[in-house]
Amino acid sequence: MKMIALTLAASLMVPVAFAQEDTFEQVFNQQRALYGKGHAFTYAGQPYTTDHPEEIEAMAEPTRANAEALITSAEAMRQESESLGYEWRDPARFLKQARTALSENEYQRAMDLAARAKYQARMSIAQYESVNASWQQAVPE
Amino acid sequence: MQKTKHSLLSVGFAVLSHAAVAAESGFTLETVDPDADRLALQAFYQQRFPGVPLEEYVNGIYAIDPDSRKQWDALMEFPPYEFDLEEGEELFNTPFANGQGYADCFENGGIGIRQKYPYWNREEGSVKTLEQEINECRVKNGEEPLPWKKGDLAKVSAYMAFTSRGKVFEIEIPADDSRALQAYLDGKEFFYSKRGQLNLSCANCHLKGSRIHVRADLPGPALGHPTHFPVVRSKWGEIGTLHRRYEGCYRDTRSVPLPPQADEFRKLEYFQTYMSNGLVVNGPGARK
Repeated sequence: MKMIALTLAASLMVPVAFAQEDTFEQVFNQQRALYGKGHAFTYAGQPYTTDHPEEIEAMAEPTRANAEALITSAEAMRQESESLGYEWRDPARFLKQARTALSENEYQRAMDLAARAKYQARMSIAQYESVNASWQQAVPE
Repeated sequence: MQKTKHSLLSVGFAVLSHAAVAAESGFTLETVDPDADRLALQAFYQQRFPGVPLEEYVNGIYAIDPDSRKQWDALMEFPPYEFDLEEGEELFNTPFANGQGYADCFENGGIGIRQKYPYWNREEGSVKTLEQEINECRVKNGEEPLPWKKGDLAKVSAYMAFTSRGKVFEIEIPADDSRALQAYLDGKEFFYSKRGQLNLSCANCHLKGSRIHVRADLPGPALGHPTHFPVVRSKWGEIGTLHRRYEGCYRDTRSVPLPPQADEFRKLEYFQTYMSNGLVVNGPGARK
């Protein structure tokens, strides 16, 4: 009986131990994949949400100035991605739509689209950095 | 029995020696060894698809997927590129307005030279492709360059490839010009680098992904990729160039595609064709 209790206790401990070994990025990505944006979770005792930084930027007050600022910063990140030769298909498309929304005074829509463009551009730059460090691993030896 | 053992040992040693040579290649100008890369790629496919002779890889997916092969064999009873080939020959032999022709721009009158392309041009410090030189020939003789992806350029290239059928690819990387080796290395890096929102490299689909379904499609092996271009693709419904396919693949990863004949694509072709050294030219071809 004691052995069963010990085994049960140990098995309950294991997931906790594994969870503590996960990095914040792993936990964030897992939570995001499971629950989408806007979900609250804790990591190392601290509260977080599954929102990307760009989505948090898009939560600012929907004004022309905020929309223009987000479009400008997204465009800068897209251009950086382009200069690296790693531009993805959609950021330019989203930015075009964001500018159209801005011209129609739809500030929240413009900010949401710019946030999507900026997120993807940031991910493409991260891809470039990751590939530079790891492409060699794919080569057969 | 003794003889069989000896043969098996020989094969084993051959495989081991290939692996040993391949292991010496690297990822910098100082360490990269193109021949070791080529042997390692061959060894990869020999292990992945045992029993498929190396020379079969010029047939792409049809070398390694029996069901696709049956369909392709039926298709090839009346090769869909035959009219393009005839038109290509006619275009090739039609003089420009100034009386000169394509034959005047190329070694051996442009006949039987496909296996030497792409090559490293020392003077220009860049990789030159056959399609690039076809258009340069036109411009030099006062003609407009042709669109890169399809149409007449693909047809002329198809005819020139046809005159090289059966000739073995012999792409060279001049040892006395490190820029050539750098171009090869850049092409190698491009091939193995993930890109686009879908995070895919050429190698993802055409190395480990060979003959693994991507939706309803079966990607072909990278070994032998450039040997059969230009191709009539069923999806295109017409003949197209290798760089048209590169552009499409690139777009499929959800990247902003590079244009045909971009520096990166020419280096990729240099790397890929070097990997096919020893295989024969069998273009033009027909693919799904």
